Amino acid sequence: MKGKLLLPVLLVLALVGVAYLLLPKGSHAFYGTRLLNPKPVDFTLEGPQGPVQLSQLKDKLVLIFFGYVHCPDVCPTTMLALKRAYEKLSPKEQERVQVVFISVDPERDTPEIADQYAKGFHPSFLGLTGSPETIQEVARTFGVYYQKTQYRGPGEYLVDHTATTFAVKEGKLVLLFSPDKVEETPRVVDDLRALL
Amino acid sequence: MRWLLILLGSLALAQPVVTPGWVRLVPPVVKDTAAYLTLENRGKTPLRLVGAETEVAERVSFHQDHREHRGGQVVLGMRPLPYLDIPPGGRVEFRPGKYHLMLEGLKRPLKAGEKVALVLRFQDGSRLKVILPVEMR
Repeated sequence: MKGKLLLPVLLVLALVGVAYLLLPKGSHAFYGTRLLNPKPVDFTLEGPQGPVQLSQLKDKLVLIFFGYVHCPDVCPTTMLALKRAYEKLSPKEQERVQVVFISVDPERDTPEIADQYAKGFHPSFLGLTGSPETIQEVARTFGVYYQKTQYRGPGEYLVDHTATTFAVKEGKLVLLFSPDKVEETPRVVDDLRALL
Repeated sequence: MRWLLILLGSLALAQPVVTPGWVRLVPPVVKDTAAYLTLENRGKTPLRLVGAETEVAERVSFHQDHREHRGGQVVLGMRPLPYLDIPPGGRVEFRPGKYHLMLEGLKRPLKAGEKVALVLRFQDGSRLKVILPVEMR
């Protein structure tokens, strides 16, 4: 009886051993939500100096947040979190990271306003917007929802919007930070370093 | 502790106690910002916050954050509140992600470190002045 069990047990142990050896060493456990199938993404939006295509930035890790300028609570909370994380990186690392703010309120936010807003948090940040149709298309690509609420008149309304931060590497969406997770600066920084 | 509050209303009715927070420094291109503080009701009767004003903004409104899930992601927004009730012994925390006082239509860009005076108005007619520092956080 004992002899018959020995072989299968040894076999299982050997398999476990092989599996352990095959595990990637030093692999980073991501705090943000990783996409199992990184999704190719691209867009062309308006920046302060003309059109900006996401694929132009493909040698950088791009962090994208969708929001709007007339947003004093939700948007600055995430933009400040991105600023904190960005400033924890070394100058060398910072060169390889681009934070992009995309306005989902093109009616009020011109490319200049969106960019001034982004640069108000850090001079290296970039603010973009586009026509309502283009913004809609880009939002769909990233699964971003936005909707005007509390409409009081032209230029007087609030906007509900997906408050996720999207990380794009080499043209592919690879990682998401929820608005709660993005505030955990040390863990966000670890994730960014693992992606760089 | 930086207890920078000054009571303007009658001391006999002094139920509200404010712990100052801050006024958020936003990029100068933004004409609205948020003020944060904690408001406690140490009295024995309910307290209703009905308004607020400051010299630096056209008007001040109250907002509560609104959160929903769509497509597996968090959608955030805010909803204006006409007033805020604080039960006896209760407190309301104005902080990011919860409630904020929206300073709408800033008359001038604020500067980091400057102090902004805010007057809270209650239904019983009492007023409470609070001084908040401007900070980028």
